[in-house]
Amino acid sequence: MCDRNKVGAEYSAPTPYGFIDSVYCGSGVDGKGLRCVVFLSGCNLRCPFCHNPETLFKKGTLTSAEELAERLVRYKPYFKRGGVTLSGGEPFLQKEFCLALVRLLAERGVRVAFETNGHICDAELIAAGEIICDVKNQESDDLSVYEEFFAECARQGKVPQVTNVLVPGKNDSEEKLRALAALVRKFIPAAQIKLLPFRKLCADKYAELSLPFPYAEIKECDEEEMERAYSVINACI
Amino acid sequence: MRSEFVKGHYNEEIDVRDFIQRNYTPYEGDGAFLCGPTERTKKLMEKVNALLKAETDKGGVLDVDTERVSSLLTYPAGYIDRENELIVGLQTDAPLKRGVNPFGGIRMARQACEAYGYKLSDLVETEFSYKTTHNDAVFHVYTDEMKAVRHAGLLTGLPDAYGRGRIIGDYRRVALYGVDKLIEEKQKDKRERGMRPMDEQNIRTLEELYKQIDFLKKLKEMALLYGVDISAPAQNAREAIQWTYFAYLAAIKEQNGAAMSLGRVSTFFDIYLERDIADGVLTESGAQELVDDFVIKCRITRQLRTPEYNEMFGGDPTWTTESIGGMGLDGRTLVTKTSYRILHTLYNLGAAPEPNMTVLWSERLPEPFKKFCAQVSVDTDSVQYENDDLMRPIFGDDYGIACCVSAMKIGKQMQFFGARCNLAKLLLLTLNGGRDEKSGLQIAPEGERFTGVLDYEKVRRAYSKYMAWLCRLYVNTLNVIHYMHDKYAYEKIQMALHDTDVERFLACGVAGLSVVTDSLSAIKYAKVTPVYGENGLIERFETEGEFPKYGNDDDRVDRLAAELVEEFSEELKKTPAYRGAKHTLSVLTITSNVAYGKKTGATPDGRKAGEPFAPGANPMHERDVSGALASLNSVAKLSYDCCRDGISNTFSIVPSALGDNAEERRENLADMLDGYFAQGAHHLNVNVFDRSKLIAAMEHPELYPSVTIRVSGYAVNFHKLSRAHQLEVIKRTYHGRM
Repeated sequence: MCDRNKVGAEYSAPTPYGFIDSVYCGSGVDGKGLRCVVFLSGCNLRCPFCHNPETLFKKGTLTSAEELAERLVRYKPYFKRGGVTLSGGEPFLQKEFCLALVRLLAERGVRVAFETNGHICDAELIAAGEIICDVKNQESDDLSVYEEFFAECARQGKVPQVTNVLVPGKNDSEEKLRALAALVRKFIPAAQIKLLPFRKLCADKYAELSLPFPYAEIKECDEEEMERAYSVINACI
Repeated sequence: MRSEFVKGHYNEEIDVRDFIQRNYTPYEGDGAFLCGPTERTKKLMEKVNALLKAETDKGGVLDVDTERVSSLLTYPAGYIDRENELIVGLQTDAPLKRGVNPFGGIRMARQACEAYGYKLSDLVETEFSYKTTHNDAVFHVYTDEMKAVRHAGLLTGLPDAYGRGRIIGDYRRVALYGVDKLIEEKQKDKRERGMRPMDEQNIRTLEELYKQIDFLKKLKEMALLYGVDISAPAQNAREAIQWTYFAYLAAIKEQNGAAMSLGRVSTFFDIYLERDIADGVLTESGAQELVDDFVIKCRITRQLRTPEYNEMFGGDPTWTTESIGGMGLDGRTLVTKTSYRILHTLYNLGAAPEPNMTVLWSERLPEPFKKFCAQVSVDTDSVQYENDDLMRPIFGDDYGIACCVSAMKIGKQMQFFGARCNLAKLLLLTLNGGRDEKSGLQIAPEGERFTGVLDYEKVRRAYSKYMAWLCRLYVNTLNVIHYMHDKYAYEKIQMALHDTDVERFLACGVAGLSVVTDSLSAIKYAKVTPVYGENGLIERFETEGEFPKYGNDDDRVDRLAAELVEEFSEELKKTPAYRGAKHTLSVLTITSNVAYGKKTGATPDGRKAGEPFAPGANPMHERDVSGALASLNSVAKLSYDCCRDGISNTFSIVPSALGDNAEERRENLADMLDGYFAQGAHHLNVNVFDRSKLIAAMEHPELYPSVTIRVSGYAVNFHKLSRAHQLEVIKRTYHGRM
């Protein structure tokens, strides 16, 4: 049996601690290749369709970057093209912790991606890993907040993956889709837009947390809807 | 003029590996060369599909020949469609008609007939009333203790009433050498042994050699019934496939072993196919057609089983396991175009559980082949993967998998199949002081009854004591079974296709590993108190507090599982095995995890009485909640060094979690296999589907006739599983990511 406990023993300097909700080992849809996804606790937004309401507040397990890196590096054999995705919550809220984790993982040859809402434009964090940015245009037409973020990505020559949760009746109009495509095209023409169908699988989590699920009454996004939206977006690019 | 094969050691002695190594063509490209089914193949497959439907409509058995006893020369030639078959030969005189094989036990044969509305003929009944069957003989010798543990379900699925199987004849020898040469070699061996002192062992070998030679002669006659003379070597691809198939056919006519595996034939066939193509006498379409036709034959292999048997081994499997790919000792890949062709039958003929497609995975396999396999898995759920980088250093590069996970050098090693013991029940037996928690019978030496909050160290020590007791009894029971199997149901044709000096394994097994692991974890990390019923037996457990569960890459509990199998393996070795066999161990349940669960009371991990176990080495259903890779990492910690008969893991993932599109899914699955096997893991069954699809298939079987899934080292048509088995499969963890 291989001894996986020794990794990290050589690190003497204390590493920052972070608030972690959970770690999910084995996703093929949170960035390139196979990923381990760390859900950091605490978010600066309160999106009514949030899929991870348990990560809204800065609580959860206080974990040292070193300890977490040790745990994640066990999955290196699977990371041919993949790596670790820091999601949440909003990972950019825990900058020192994230940067320490990125450094510790990089030393062991593991790549990191951030799944961020793009509202915190931090050049250092953007430079630290691959970027997946979820654009929230469900309740607002104002996309200006993303301009700074995407401009920084462009400045660094970084091509983020842009995601957008498609919510029927909220952001599936041609107008909104075109505006999203225009934003992306303006700053980072090479970026791909990945639409995520709105689902209500998280309703149980809201119930468990005794939180209201603001989009509880909205219908889920079906395949037809997705196809239509993609055709609008593709026509713009 | 035909091209000549490169000559070598194989011309001097029986050495199929040498022939392969000198003559095969590794293939590192992709599957673009593959051809679809020809009109002939489609027409033939239509006929087969109609027969399969008729079989299902009749309740699972199309027809039974109750008048004759199955063997090589029992039935006249049978065909699906004589004019249109390229490869011929059926087990009986008609497709899907099952023969009767009472050598394992007449009672089993009789019950199997009756279960499907047939009656075993008086002729057969009378004939066998004068014969000792394997089953009779075993029970003549079984001790009361052996009968008691067998009855209680502590040892279950023992091959004491049916053929033991898990022996792979080197069927390729017939094609490469022709039967006459094989007879000549065996006669030479017999003369040589005739000079040795006539001790019991030598006399037995001589008698076995007589039987082998006799059945090689019968094999020739059997082929002649189809108008084919196989006394000399095959001259072209069609003959090579036909000769090999005849040898396999003889084996399944003679024996009804649970697993009658094929070995490693595709790369062997490739040599002949590629030579014919190079010589301009065969096209790619023609090559595929031959492989398709061969696979059709493998798909309609049948044995007559009892309902009790089906409860252990659900879905009417035959384990016609074909080992595909892998790497050679010299670093060249053993993947050939025919590795692709045989997997491609799953498209040409539709998904199906047999032959049991087993890809020998190596990190160094050609990348296009890895992706091709992954795509076949995503599309058909019909492939299992086993770690060639782990097995090759032990078994060389011409081994095959028998049944699900049992590796052996083809024609050089065989095993005595030993089914398995129920580790979870053994824990309950321990806590009840040696009494069966169901019947209350004192089936093991009396020990302390555990009351109050359970102390881990104390429980673990007592468990070790009972484990030692059971291992001794287990090996001794198997010794009885295999002595009698050799004596009364010897595999004449299969052993004729082995070297005379064969290496033997005694293949023991365990079931319920994850149940007992989580139970021990509960005792160690939480507070567990047994609750006794009025009969003085533990009825259930009260468990307070949290405890780590196997399947989440948590060393605190995973270590318990690894220690258990190490200890069990060491205990087995303390009792000598029959015929000098080497003890091996598997963590594999087939589908008996359901039957074992039924026979096992409530366990400290929170599993209720009667609930199914997880299959093989799998974590318990829905307890592996940290993601697919964490679950895989837990299983990867079980050491193959102490589980040389295989560690089975059946894995289900929903397509949407594996990747956003076909290309991503294919690549991610290949990465997953690389990552899992790089850690020394042994086996992975891969299913890629949503639970909802299975629920639909369970409710409307008529709409999903060909839904094939991997269960535990083999694949089944989902509709052929019993309701209990279907529900268990649905309850499993489907790794997703929400």
